[in-house]
Amino acid sequence: MLIIRPAVTGDLGSVVELAKQAGVGVTSLPPIPERLQGRLEQSEKSFRSRIKPEHAYYLFALEDTEKPGAAGVSAIQARVGLDEVWYNYRVSNCVHASSELGIHQQTSTLYLTNDMTDCSEICTLFLSPSARQGGNGHLLSKARMMFMADHLELFSEKLFAEMRGVSDEQGVSPFWESLGRKFFSLDFPQADFLTGAGSKAFIAELMPKYPIYLPFLSEEARASLAQVHAHTRPALALLSDEGFRYNGLVDIFDGGPVVEVFVSDIRCIRESRKFYVVVSNSLKPDPFESGEALLVSNRRFEDYRATLVHRNQIRDDSLLLTPGQATGLQVMAGDVVRATELKAVQAEEAG
Amino acid sequence: MLSFRPAKVTDLDDIEKLLNAVGQPLSTLPANREALSEKLDQAERSFSGDESLKGQERYLFVLEDLGKKAIIGTSGIDVKAGNGAPFYNYRRDSLFHSSQQLGVHNEVPVLYLSHELSGRPLLRSLCLHPDYRQSDALSLLSRGRFLFFKLHRERFGESVIVEIQGQQDEQGNAPFWDSLGRHFFGLDFRTADYYSGVKSKTFIAEMMPVHPIYEILLTEAAQRAIGCAHPLALYNQRFLESEGFRAGRHIDIFDGGPTLEARIDDIATVRNAREVQIKHTATAMGQPSLVCNTGYQDYRATTTLLAQGLGEVTRLASDVATLLGLEEGDSMLRVSL
Repeated sequence: MLIIRPAVTGDLGSVVELAKQAGVGVTSLPPIPERLQGRLEQSEKSFRSRIKPEHAYYLFALEDTEKPGAAGVSAIQARVGLDEVWYNYRVSNCVHASSELGIHQQTSTLYLTNDMTDCSEICTLFLSPSARQGGNGHLLSKARMMFMADHLELFSEKLFAEMRGVSDEQGVSPFWESLGRKFFSLDFPQADFLTGAGSKAFIAELMPKYPIYLPFLSEEARASLAQVHAHTRPALALLSDEGFRYNGLVDIFDGGPVVEVFVSDIRCIRESRKFYVVVSNSLKPDPFESGEALLVSNRRFEDYRATLVHRNQIRDDSLLLTPGQATGLQVMAGDVVRATELKAVQAEEAG
Repeated sequence: MLSFRPAKVTDLDDIEKLLNAVGQPLSTLPANREALSEKLDQAERSFSGDESLKGQERYLFVLEDLGKKAIIGTSGIDVKAGNGAPFYNYRRDSLFHSSQQLGVHNEVPVLYLSHELSGRPLLRSLCLHPDYRQSDALSLLSRGRFLFFKLHRERFGESVIVEIQGQQDEQGNAPFWDSLGRHFFGLDFRTADYYSGVKSKTFIAEMMPVHPIYEILLTEAAQRAIGCAHPLALYNQRFLESEGFRAGRHIDIFDGGPTLEARIDDIATVRNAREVQIKHTATAMGQPSLVCNTGYQDYRATTTLLAQGLGEVTRLASDVATLLGLEEGDSMLRVSL
């Protein structure tokens, strides 16, 4: 049985292993034990005490109850840009026109912005390749949103995700080659690593501050603007089904798109309902496809747990759980849990 | 004999002929009869003291080969660059992007759109028939204007600018334009350059990108063209440098060619020219020199031989005196060629 729970410092070993598998492009998961240790401590602190939102970072672990340790991680940064500076490019438009010459030219232009400042970010999603099945990716990503549903006061009303941009097998990003490299004198993996490792001062020091007219970039760079890496397409589709939309901003390094949503509009939160727990010793849960899965959270904070059950376990306003499921969720009969379809029903029909 | 004098409306046909012989288009003298005729009218009114052009005169001179009765060159001065409208340049500046943490220290040159040179006196429309390139004609064509500065110093500000034509290939494509302006104007260089001579300047304000341009984002060919003269203009640049002109931080917005600047009082010709009284002589002898009368509307300059001397009286060949419209005892300016 797979459970989502807050990550703890004891997960360090398995998180380091995950980071090694993640590779370039997963900026927020650098394979540096000290750095990951810091993340785990920060997350533990965030779950232990309700610290100021600008410092709150909630890291969740996906754990197989039969195999202790983290088989995947995902996180929420409660606020970005409050104790550092958060940069994006806004893809904007400049129109130059002359009626005398009969010319009307539109020029896409990148403006350096801090527009996502004070918003909440979902980040650091990585699932071990061996656990990529049966809706586990959906569980790992959406359990975060279910956590937010019961702790709205800790988060901004807007939630966003930076999607990994286009790069080739060597980690070469055409957007970076055409823009960032010329200013940073670094390779993309190197720059990516440095930001992930928490050294962001260099961005302010080296980043071009004036708007960048897109025609100055290479054709490949222009084509990759606001496009996601092939490996990230499923994640984009997942977020898109939950209501996330491209907001016109891109990552300053690889040009990947930023997608955002108002928390109250997130599909899994909006469609979620509360159920009384009924523990049934005789319940023999049917095996289920991800399309039949129900995402259940125990609605707690420091003892937050979430898992998947079959949707046929709903009985009116109650949810039947096996003793094992109840233990996994740390709930007892009569407790109130939150549950929602793991996948948007509409999307399933369409797909 | 060569005569350097104010251009007149009646020079239209001869100037057209000259422009055809030169081939290379000049944005300030478009090979368009209507526009050209308007420019000549403006020039004539500038010399005749038309009130509407006061303080904003647009002088145009021609160089005439009297023997061949042909106009073989033109040169001009705008009293105020831009003529009341903004005069566009890029100003090159450097930012330092430096990170101690990474040990990266990059000098990042940036081009800022600038109107800073608007209103300065501007040398323009220098054009010489190819047959005369090896003669003193270029010197007369260019320095004749500097003597005019000296004679009418109060009409011009402190320092003068001149734009040197930038790099182009044989098809008339400019690498700087292709990497920059073309994206915004949607026009090839020749067309845009032509429009800048015949259309109002409004279209530049409308089409020009307003944000600063990072040079490193331009193509390598464009970066190399920044501040570089067209090979055919290089001789003129060297000549102006010998007169005391220096490349400043401004370049042309279209082709990236350099803009040279000089304090008028520091121009060698202005500094070295002396006013003397003339005395007739039958034959010219001595050092090759530039001479001019002290006129305005009937300003004339030419080259001749003059005896060296520091006195206030100079012997001038009668035919030259006639050309300049001078009689014994009249003043003229002289400077060695």
